[in-house]
Amino acid sequence: MLKLDRRSFLATTAGLSFLSVLPRVAHADGHADTLRVAIAGETGDLDLLQNVSTLSSYSAVFDALIHYGPGGALEPGLATAWTIAEDGLSISFDLREGVSFTDGTPFDATAAEWNLKRWMGVADFSWIGIADNYDNITIDAPNKITVKLKRPVPAALLELTIVRPVRFLSPKAAAGQPIGTGPWIVESYSSTETVLVRNDAYWGEKPAFGRMELKVVPDELARANALRAGELDVIGGDWVAALSPRRAKALEGEGMTIVAEPGTATTILGFSPKSPMMQDKAVRDAIFMGIDRAAVATVLFEGYADPTADIFPTTVPTAGARTPVPARDVAAAQAALTAGGWTGDASGWAKDGAALEIAFLVSEESFPGSRRIAEMIQGMLMEVGVKTNIETVDNATMHERRPNFDYDLTFFATYGAPYDPHGSLGASFVTASDTGPDGKIYVHPDLDALVATALETGGDSRQGAMQAVYDWLRDNTAACPLVVTQRLWAVNPRVKGFTLPATDYDLPFKGITLG
Amino acid sequence: MQRMFMRRVGLALLLMLAATALTFWLVTAAPGNVAALIAERAAGAGADGEMIAKIADDLGLNDPLPVRYARWLGDALTGDFGVSLRTGKPMAEEFAERIPMTLALLAGGGVLALVLSLAMGIAGAASNGGIVDRVLHGLALVGASTPNFFVAAMLVIVFSVWLGMVPTFGVAGLTSWLLPWITIALFPASVLARVVRVNLQDTMSRPFATTGFAKGLTRSAVLLREALPNIAIPYMTTFGAQFTLMIIGAIVVERVFGLNGVGAFFIEAIRFRDFIGMQAILTLFVVFFVSINLLVDVLAMLADPRLRRPRKA
Repeated sequence: MLKLDRRSFLATTAGLSFLSVLPRVAHADGHADTLRVAIAGETGDLDLLQNVSTLSSYSAVFDALIHYGPGGALEPGLATAWTIAEDGLSISFDLREGVSFTDGTPFDATAAEWNLKRWMGVADFSWIGIADNYDNITIDAPNKITVKLKRPVPAALLELTIVRPVRFLSPKAAAGQPIGTGPWIVESYSSTETVLVRNDAYWGEKPAFGRMELKVVPDELARANALRAGELDVIGGDWVAALSPRRAKALEGEGMTIVAEPGTATTILGFSPKSPMMQDKAVRDAIFMGIDRAAVATVLFEGYADPTADIFPTTVPTAGARTPVPARDVAAAQAALTAGGWTGDASGWAKDGAALEIAFLVSEESFPGSRRIAEMIQGMLMEVGVKTNIETVDNATMHERRPNFDYDLTFFATYGAPYDPHGSLGASFVTASDTGPDGKIYVHPDLDALVATALETGGDSRQGAMQAVYDWLRDNTAACPLVVTQRLWAVNPRVKGFTLPATDYDLPFKGITLG
Repeated sequence: MQRMFMRRVGLALLLMLAATALTFWLVTAAPGNVAALIAERAAGAGADGEMIAKIADDLGLNDPLPVRYARWLGDALTGDFGVSLRTGKPMAEEFAERIPMTLALLAGGGVLALVLSLAMGIAGAASNGGIVDRVLHGLALVGASTPNFFVAAMLVIVFSVWLGMVPTFGVAGLTSWLLPWITIALFPASVLARVVRVNLQDTMSRPFATTGFAKGLTRSAVLLREALPNIAIPYMTTFGAQFTLMIIGAIVVERVFGLNGVGAFFIEAIRFRDFIGMQAILTLFVVFFVSINLLVDVLAMLADPRLRRPRKA
């Protein structure tokens, strides 16, 4: 029987009193006009010329001349119209009139020229075609400029939609002051949060709520718990605060709204062009046919991925004709090996005395969840008779080994919108490009010529030139596309009308209302 | 005493020097290229081999390791720990912003560990084999065996998600500190509670305790007045060791609760191969470890005259 003396009674009462006075965490109370979005790392000062600040917050504060729309449609931003000369050597822009930066500085041709000259023709930004081929800028009228190029850059307009450095900063902004013309103004930023307030003078559609708090929550579980507790309204986005498929499935089961939309980046299994084993097309074909992409998408991505056999999904422009996603076919994979001169069966294969054994380089740091995918693929290939050895390394080792093609198999991902297809093609499939630690998916002299032609071809011929690249990659089984991961977000029920922006590099706020 | 104190300080400084040299060597031996990271930060995808080579040359990364260490040490002694490769800010600024957060976490956790361990240890000794003693023994075992990320997750689910009493992350008033403090204090409190309990049991069997009982003192009176002061030295030394280990716990706790302290920064520095940030924080950890242990040594010497006597051959 429970004995309750005076001392324990008083202690219990005091304890309960203490707990009862703890205020319940305000959920939406006091935040009726504020959208609280999780970000995985601090935004920083949003310097447009430094590769430090997180990419996701720029588009809330800064506008570009052209904005990236759904499917790669080019939408007017600070330019209302643009004209490319017939020779492709100049592009004229009609600048939006009546626009000011949030410090009151007018946006006009002079401000545009000042901004563009900060990166066009500058060596650090030679990876951007329009910067690399920049000749000069002329001011044609107070609200009209022309950018002249040394060579035509067919992807120039798409390049003007990327996150940085192409967006426009107030020429009067002091160092560390992120002042743009965008729908939001940075009220404050620190290592714990960035507070944005609505720009009531914004030239475009104004947000329906007045304040956005970007809360730094590095841990994914903590973000999910904060959403559950009502302390956050929105979590997700690969470049904002990634939400894993497993976590999304768990949140969905708890009544949270999960928004999943087709992605723009493809997860690809890359074959090292320097590996003697991988130079054998029969081996590449066997791997291509021996993987069950649908199973990978269903089991490892909880259905939040779409199987694919193409380098780019249809969510990016000029992605090419669709290749039917092959069903896994062990017999066909083994037949390909036999046709390639390999002898063996499901217990193993050999050719010229060498056993078919593949090194599969994986880094959980570089690509979270990749170890599980690799193990699943290892099992599938084992049934074909292809032995794979998974090597798990850290991010730095991956960054050293991948550029040197020091692997047989490893994972890659395309850049996604708005950087593709020209971004990934020009960097990851060209021998001469310097991609630094990212490495390249596949290179070959024949491919170099095709990619160069495709990237230099504009107008109506561009689609055909791009298709020639895709066909070469497919005919040579130069890479093994696996899935296109979906864009995953989870939102608090008080958030209404949640719609994703066109790219994973933008914050979602358009169309959102708060209940 | 003064000579002994100076000797301890000298040893502590030597230890710091050796530890920073070791960490410097380990950080530079880790895979990855500082120059490549700096180039990538400055130029993004435009970083090429030429730019990387120039940065390496400018920073003296091709110099012999001892030369680089000496240069780093000279800068560090003037408070210049370099610029973080991840945030682009001087590490001195990062420290100024983040150390108060970590200190608040450690101080609160330390006080909680102190109070909890003494309360649990004394209550256990007072019960002496009774139900309270056995329950507290079990709790201490669970507390010492449960990883802090699991404790944090459970506390958040119960007190934040289910009951809505405290925030899940960030700092917003005193209540937001409760879960981080409990999480970081649980392990040291559990260990220290056993130290208190075991040492009190031992002390209670000493002759002076028996004398106390013979004089008619109650068990509680003997515990608190006679036995407790006698466990000060073992408690103090164990507390010092546990307190220094709390900074390791802070690495996890800060990340889970979204606190922007040096522990959370350290995790991000590792992820982004921010070598400069890593080295600066490891140095901070070394200084913290050595300083706390030095402080404990000095306090122990002040508390116990036997420790002040010079050792005889």
